[in-house]
Amino acid sequence: MEIRTTFRKKLREIQDEVLVMGSMVEKAITSSVKALKERDLDLAHQIINDDLKVNQKRFEIEEKCIQLVATQQPMASDLRVIISVLNIISEVERIGDHAEGIAKIVIMIGDEPPLKPLIDIPRMTEKTTDMLQRSLDAFVNHNADTAREIAIEDDEVDNLYNQVFRELLTFMAEDPRTITRATRLIWVAHNLERSADRVTNICERVVYMVTGKMEEIGASKY
Amino acid sequence: MKMDSELLNKNAAINNNVKLSTEGVNLYYGSFQALRNITLDIPQCAITAIIGPSGCGKSSFLRIFNRMNDLITGARVEGEVELDGIPIYNKAIDVVELRKRVGMVFQKPNPFPMSVFENVAFGPKRHGISNRVELEEIVKKSLRQAALWDEVKDKLEQSGLALSGGQQQRLCIARVLAVEPEVILMDEPCSALDPVATLKIEELMRSLAENYTIVIVTHNMQQAARVSDMAAFLMMEEDRAGVLVEYGPTSELFTNPKDKRTEDYITGRFG
Repeated sequence: MEIRTTFRKKLREIQDEVLVMGSMVEKAITSSVKALKERDLDLAHQIINDDLKVNQKRFEIEEKCIQLVATQQPMASDLRVIISVLNIISEVERIGDHAEGIAKIVIMIGDEPPLKPLIDIPRMTEKTTDMLQRSLDAFVNHNADTAREIAIEDDEVDNLYNQVFRELLTFMAEDPRTITRATRLIWVAHNLERSADRVTNICERVVYMVTGKMEEIGASKY
Repeated sequence: MKMDSELLNKNAAINNNVKLSTEGVNLYYGSFQALRNITLDIPQCAITAIIGPSGCGKSSFLRIFNRMNDLITGARVEGEVELDGIPIYNKAIDVVELRKRVGMVFQKPNPFPMSVFENVAFGPKRHGISNRVELEEIVKKSLRQAALWDEVKDKLEQSGLALSGGQQQRLCIARVLAVEPEVILMDEPCSALDPVATLKIEELMRSLAENYTIVIVTHNMQQAARVSDMAAFLMMEEDRAGVLVEYGPTSELFTNPKDKRTEDYITGRFG
């Protein structure tokens, strides 16, 4: 029989809030690349403003975790949930910063003519946001196996990044006038690649939360 | 020690509905001063915990609210103590009626040596209810509220003393609820119970706090942290009189206490 229903309710509320924060950041990443594709500077500014809300949300969740630790003496799996939340929100917040980073690059690019149609960068975006969403599902469902699988998918994002990098390098080698534009796109891709790395960190935290074991999954090459 | 009552109470009114309040309260047992200049507001339908080292006057302070100290020879209270803004130490106050509105649960479960049913029906009977159907309703409702009904519904005629310690304490809570109080004072209600029974009482307190104002004295700081909305830290001064050091929302008191003495106490640096 469940005894500490009040405490469990608070713990569930915190986990729900992590999902809310996750969807805010997922939207930010998707929008940042949309802003890049469509040269939508208003959207880029909007993403930068919205990042403050993400940061605020992180502080709110952190505060609630601290209060639960201070007042409820969480033990064992409850303690691991709270510690994992503290780590996960930090990763999610940094992914939000990567989205903000992309938005700033979009503003830098301004109305420069596009270097090439974007193909792999949208693919990286789709893969990264999909991984983020599923990693947070694995978190709320306490599913370590799924978390391990998602972490390994980071290799796909790394491969796409390498592909983008090589392709843009070719542009630069062939025509030095493209260096500025190509470099900016590399920065965008790098932000996405780092975001996916952070998703693997989230997955590692899910595994710890469920199993109590700290393990590194598919260590990043970068 | 000087106290800035305004500062201490700025957080007190969580919902602006002050149920109980003390203003400059001093309590003496003969020539010994047990409490000095205690000023605080206790919010309605919330749990307020009183914590502090042994002998700091926590229980004495709690007993002020239903005038239990009146029963001790030589006890004397100075200052204002109000229930819903009405001074309870006024001569016109009917103490029996006051104790009906402000019920109390003690450290050691103390069921009467009678059946479970009679334990709960005792108070309402004393207050003049004699209709059996009505009493049955009250007993059932009170036991349900005390989260005990499912465990005792088939043994209402058994002695209350035959129940486990945790059940006995919930029976005592049901007995208090049966007279429909507004405030429940709890003096170390779990100190005689095992950890699971303790958590059950705490969970019960949380559900009761939706409708009742609860004030709990506990030497168990972790319990105060788990269960309360507001927390007051009392400690003794050199002459052994208890003073209020800090009072505020529990979440703040246990994460960022304002007074170094509170910090030292809750982090185990003294006490």
